[in-house]
Amino acid sequence: MVGLNKNILRTILIISYIMVIALIISGLSAVFSYLNTGADRSSMLHTEIQKVEQYMPQLVWEPLQNEGRPMDNENLNALQNDYLDAWYVKQIAYKTNKTAGIKDYYTDSARKNLFDFIALNKAEDITIDATTLKHHPTLEFFSEDGQLAVITDRNVVEYKSVFKAEQLVLETTETSTYKMVFLLEDGFWRIRHLVKEHSEPYTFDTEPINTANLDIKGINYYPQANPWDMFGDDFSTSILSKDFDIIKNAGLNSVRIFVQYEDFGKANVKPEKLEKLKQTLDLAEAHSLKVVLTLFDFYGDYSVMDWTLNQRHAETIVSTFKNHKALLAWDIKNEPNLDFESRGKPNVIAWLDNMIDFVKSVDASHPVTIGWSNTQSAPILKDKVDIVSFHYYENLEHLNDAIKTLKTEIPNKPLVLQEFGLSSYSGLWKPNGASDEDQANYHKKIQEHIAANNLQFMSWTLYDFTYIPKAVVGSLPWRKNAQEHYGFIDKNGQTKPAFDYIAKP
Amino acid sequence: MPFKHTYLFLLGLILLSSFSVVQYSETTQPIQLITTQTDYNVGDSVVLKFSTSEGEHPLLYCSNSYGSTLLTGELNANILQYKIPENISKKRGAVSWKLLDKTMSLSGTFTMNPKAEVATMETYIGPPSIEAGGTDYTMLVVIPTDSLDNPVPTNTLVNAKHQFLASEETTDIFTKNLIAYKNIYSKQESGRMLVSSESLGINSKEFTINVSAAIPTDFTISATRPHAYADGNQITTFSTSIIKDKQNNVVSDGTYVTFFITNQKQNILKTTGTTIDGIAQAKIIHPDYKDAWTVKAYVDGMAESESIALQYKSVIEDYNVKFSEQNRSITVGPLQSFMGQMIPDGLHVKLHIYKTNKHIETLTKTSFNGYVNFNLKPAIYSNGNYNFSIETAGITKQFNTKKLW
Repeated sequence: MVGLNKNILRTILIISYIMVIALIISGLSAVFSYLNTGADRSSMLHTEIQKVEQYMPQLVWEPLQNEGRPMDNENLNALQNDYLDAWYVKQIAYKTNKTAGIKDYYTDSARKNLFDFIALNKAEDITIDATTLKHHPTLEFFSEDGQLAVITDRNVVEYKSVFKAEQLVLETTETSTYKMVFLLEDGFWRIRHLVKEHSEPYTFDTEPINTANLDIKGINYYPQANPWDMFGDDFSTSILSKDFDIIKNAGLNSVRIFVQYEDFGKANVKPEKLEKLKQTLDLAEAHSLKVVLTLFDFYGDYSVMDWTLNQRHAETIVSTFKNHKALLAWDIKNEPNLDFESRGKPNVIAWLDNMIDFVKSVDASHPVTIGWSNTQSAPILKDKVDIVSFHYYENLEHLNDAIKTLKTEIPNKPLVLQEFGLSSYSGLWKPNGASDEDQANYHKKIQEHIAANNLQFMSWTLYDFTYIPKAVVGSLPWRKNAQEHYGFIDKNGQTKPAFDYIAKP
Repeated sequence: MPFKHTYLFLLGLILLSSFSVVQYSETTQPIQLITTQTDYNVGDSVVLKFSTSEGEHPLLYCSNSYGSTLLTGELNANILQYKIPENISKKRGAVSWKLLDKTMSLSGTFTMNPKAEVATMETYIGPPSIEAGGTDYTMLVVIPTDSLDNPVPTNTLVNAKHQFLASEETTDIFTKNLIAYKNIYSKQESGRMLVSSESLGINSKEFTINVSAAIPTDFTISATRPHAYADGNQITTFSTSIIKDKQNNVVSDGTYVTFFITNQKQNILKTTGTTIDGIAQAKIIHPDYKDAWTVKAYVDGMAESESIALQYKSVIEDYNVKFSEQNRSITVGPLQSFMGQMIPDGLHVKLHIYKTNKHIETLTKTSFNGYVNFNLKPAIYSNGNYNFSIETAGITKQFNTKKLW
């Protein structure tokens, strides 16, 4: 007995000794490796400066016919980069009334003029949130020694929102022509003289798009296995093909598909994502389905400084698919009214307004819409969109009245009930939720309303899902579980009773 | 009855007047722009005036080349006045404005024109060094600015002046795209060119352009030496003629010239020099044996000379070799030069040692006081028969089967 105790004691002693030694060694090595960090030779000199793309307005050089020395691509690129950076630092300076960065892009004498403005605006509590959307520079002159250049930038489209004491007092879009003298100093092309030669309010007119022949009977579509990540690694054309078959055979004629802003690569849209989107549209065309493409899903910034990047994103996607036969309409943004509170209503509306103009400037032939999350927001920008889309998840009793009100407010544009549905979840997190029969009933009823009011529709959604990403409804289980059961087809691939009313009452 | 008419008339009048009052209040005088001037000179005091009947104080948005701001107006006897701040009124360019009243219907632009004066001549010139010959040029760029740092109007006259040797020229150029520029071509001669400019009575500073000679043309070379003997001691100096470009301008000092020397064995020796006043010199020591050199000089990639030939006569006709101390001490000498004088110290003498026709070693020594002495130590060279050959000043002597003991 004594011997056993001693052995136990010994073992404990030895183990604790080893533990202490191990702790000391790991502590010392942590200190050692901490002291070694930061002294990495490659990082000492900051040799690898990553160019961050933060300001990318549309910029098209006029053909080079400048006086003086012939221009080469290298120098033109450097000039263009510094020119855009000059705009960028100016916008930031007027937004914050701080002078950071100005001195890199404006010469001693020129920067004084900016400082004067900043001082004046700071004293008066004025801030200006501005961006430029289009540039058409012409190189007028490049000096023989490559140190001086003159540019005329014609029809620069400038958007500004002007704030006094943090209250928005003016939103304006102007188109102006600037003449500039640049000097190459310390490796920067700096603005020496800046003369606005002409300025007028910017107007963008589009031909109205004929939407009389539209008859959308559709569904919001995500594949069952990878909702909200449709164009990820699990992208599969065979699944899409099968699902499009189901949709077509159910008597529907269109699908609504979402393009995620960050997933697609923001301003520089990834070619592989575009390819997957193209395959999706091709498949839809093969199944005689039309596609409503919702841009900017999971995007929520709207800040004016972000606009140029958003436009590059939209430009790539819209210009790539504007001639695709499956395309039905561009849905600019899904439920932007939910961001009114957090991002500021005027800000969000200005973003939408400009984005509509931009999409129409790239593609003048397809209708544009916005997927408002309720009927109250639907009249916003009603004169800019071609189709008014709204979502309805509220009590069906009020639907008729809501539509009546909408129809009086918007008499001349097609109304699309772009999302509606009922979760058939009933369980631990929602004991008295709707059953499959309730869901079927709901769809029967709403289809009757749709028929009675002659609405177009896209229901939510084809499948019950097994996994909902956090970004969609958050991580609360009662929300997640409810979101999983909106489908017409359950997790096992069986059609639910509601499937009978997918396309008609 | 006439009373009735009067009443009716009066009633009608009252009705009418009330109507007109109602109408009047409906169309209260909207704010209207009074100022009609749309062109100002920079530095002028600019005030935008509006007539108004209501006591409102809307802000005025105002934007020029460099930025935008909001102005607060002053109301005086139903006239709203907005004084454009100095930082807008002092800069050239279009200024757009918008009155931020309820309707936001009033907007417009006016133009700030630069002053018709020049205060500073911002001058840039480059490249600062060009080549003579009339094809190369430097560019003068002038930005005349007024006292408020605005570029002057288009088509302002600028005199571009330059002086070179005897010529002084003035050319009229005009501003366009905010600048005026002129290409100034070189002449046939090299030298310094002075450039300046003038506009509306204001002169720039003086700028200097260096016009250097164009690339050199072919030249000739010569060699000078104290004597023609290959004594390995004296120095031969090569010189070029004055190297010039095709316009007869002497090339820049420091032009690098390489002299290539090919000897009889087809080995190449090289010596270099840089030009001063067009002449480059380079030196090389005489060979220590009879030789014939061919020399040619190059300015790399641009010009070359004709080749010249040099002969070096042998300085030593013959010498004695004396074996002593069991043939282990070999004395070479006296080594006598062309006048019979002892050769200067330092002439190389080589002793090749062979044993049974196999080369063992070569010993090299330099002469001292006209003699060279080799000592072959018994510890290294064991007793036996050896062959020796001695080589100096291009003369080889052979001694076969010498016995060391």
